Amino acid sequence: MRTTRFVAPAAAGLLAVAGLTGCGGGDDADAPAGGPIAVKATDSACEVGSTEIDAGQVTFKVTNNGSKVNEFYVYAAGDRVMGEVENIAPGLSRELRVELPAGTYETACKPGMSGRGIRGALKVSGTAASVAPDAALAEATASYQRYVRSQTAALLTKTEEFVAAVKGNDVAKAKALYPVARTYWERIEPVAESFGDLDPKIDGREEVVEEGMEFTGFHRIEKDLWTTGDISKDGPIADRLLVDVKAIVAKADAEKLTPLQLANGAKALLDEVASGKITGEEERYSHTDLWDFNANLEGSKAAVAALRPALEQRAPDLVKQLDAEFANVEAALGKHRAGDGWKLHTQLSKTELKVLSDSINALAEPVSKIAAAVAR
Amino acid sequence: MFATYLIGLREGLEATLVVSILVAFLVKSQRRDRLPQVWAGVGLAVALSVVFGSLIQYTSTSLLRTSESREFFEAVTSVAAVVFVTWMIFWMRRAARSIAGELRGKLTEALAVGSLAVAGMAFLAVVREGLETALIFYAAAESVAGGTGAGSLLALIGGIATAVVIGFLLYRSALKINLSRFFTWTGALLILVAAGILKYGIHDFQEAGVLPGLNNQAFDISATLDPNAWYGALLAGMFNITAAPTVLELIAWVAYAVPVLVLFLRKPAAPAKPSAAPAATPTAPAPPAATAPAAAPPAESTATTPEPAPAAVDAAAVPSPRA
Repeated sequence: MRTTRFVAPAAAGLLAVAGLTGCGGGDDADAPAGGPIAVKATDSACEVGSTEIDAGQVTFKVTNNGSKVNEFYVYAAGDRVMGEVENIAPGLSRELRVELPAGTYETACKPGMSGRGIRGALKVSGTAASVAPDAALAEATASYQRYVRSQTAALLTKTEEFVAAVKGNDVAKAKALYPVARTYWERIEPVAESFGDLDPKIDGREEVVEEGMEFTGFHRIEKDLWTTGDISKDGPIADRLLVDVKAIVAKADAEKLTPLQLANGAKALLDEVASGKITGEEERYSHTDLWDFNANLEGSKAAVAALRPALEQRAPDLVKQLDAEFANVEAALGKHRAGDGWKLHTQLSKTELKVLSDSINALAEPVSKIAAAVAR
Repeated sequence: MFATYLIGLREGLEATLVVSILVAFLVKSQRRDRLPQVWAGVGLAVALSVVFGSLIQYTSTSLLRTSESREFFEAVTSVAAVVFVTWMIFWMRRAARSIAGELRGKLTEALAVGSLAVAGMAFLAVVREGLETALIFYAAAESVAGGTGAGSLLALIGGIATAVVIGFLLYRSALKINLSRFFTWTGALLILVAAGILKYGIHDFQEAGVLPGLNNQAFDISATLDPNAWYGALLAGMFNITAAPTVLELIAWVAYAVPVLVLFLRKPAAPAKPSAAPAATPTAPAPPAATAPAAAPPAESTATTPEPAPAAVDAAAVPSPRA
């Protein structure tokens, strides 16, 4: 048996073929966070776990719960096959790994291996990698970074003043500084939220206790200021707040957001308004929700302003719509000014809150289109 | 379960068909010494499929992990397999002519092919679908581990075992028929197989986006040719005959099968010795239509031995198409 003589060349031949297939640079293509997207296929249905995903390496885990052999396809426009997995026998699960750039796709299960299959839409939104580098977008990143740095500097200054007031047991001054310091925080909140558990330490509400965390930060001091008025024991809490704010400022200053993160951040700020500020949930003791509302709005506007030159090129109509809706929200909110600041949440009627809520929702609609325009 | 069984049958048939003809040919032309190379090629392909499959299934390797890279791999190996099988067809034909012209001395010369070619052919026949089959296996094994019972794994193994049995029966019946007829039948069979592999490769290239026209279907007879039925699985497994081929697949199939069949079945050049025995009974060429030829051809009325002595060899080596 002189097998070695040809086994080696044959193996080399296969490796050459495998080499031809280009293994994507040979880097470890790990599944994206959250693991594979589950697809439940039966003889008459095709349930795709999530239909709006991020671009890049996508893994689908297709389970066939039907009685017929199934196939799973991802089609681009014109039914171009991006990826497929065949021979999914009844009761089995198979994986499909496929590289998807941003765009709209269709998924299809084919029970019985024939026909067009059971189709479903799949929306893939771009990552930085798939956004064409252009001058306007690069400028957007740089200009927003300047904005963030201006805000973090003010946040640090005002937090220091606030902490000093708390430690000096000056309740009135602390109460006055509280919403001001938070304004700078709320303007850049989406940036801050990307730094893991620093955000709940600084901005966590009482519910963090349920997650096994200590209740610290702004809202802990807020509670003491407005419920008991006793902040004599809050020295350590105030010190920690300052340490945490310093840490987040250092991180935020170094952070370069992609144009897409900017677009998503602008939207996230409006969601914040709708979920936390309109409801009065955020500032439950001080009721200074409108300060936060205004800060979120300004932060959102700043992100959009940074993207503006790029949007003018790509979607001029969208820019007009954004301007109109921003003006609309500002007008609605402007009615509730009180001196240098704002009315308390408790001073607004249900109807007034409803008007604010509607105007925010109307603005969120064009803002949610920015990401797609940027990714074009 | 039956559906899973058919997957195993379909995936297994593609390889066993080529391998069993190759083995039958080597045995009939007294080249048993080449058999270890065939099994080595098969073994290497199986081993590679199993190893690669497990890497893909259980590690984070990126080699061949995406579906398009596997698509491309199957397309490339398919085209390579077509080249090899075509070469094998004409290699066998040349051997047949040597026998026909009673140039027995030249037979060894005609058969003097590198062991690498034989091993390579067996290897390609198996590795084409080996990786996909291995991946199905791991999926089935996982479902067993998940506690759903071993049904699907057993069904899959049963399907592959059936394919091997069919291959063995083909081999046995191939041994029974006389040499010239064997060449005609198996050659025609191999041409259909190769045309099917080419069609499959074209389809994979279309799916990988290398070739256009994936949705341009020539016809769709899935109503009559159900891919979930046993005959659908058999036809797909042996000749890659599918119910809804694309126009390009069909063109590739015809463009390959017709000229190769004509070349294969045309009258050979006049044998060197004019005293060669006249043609006895030209056997009809295999019909180009796919009428499942897996069944043994009708046995000769004359009692045939598994290994016909050279004297009993039919003089009409290559039949002429009916005028």
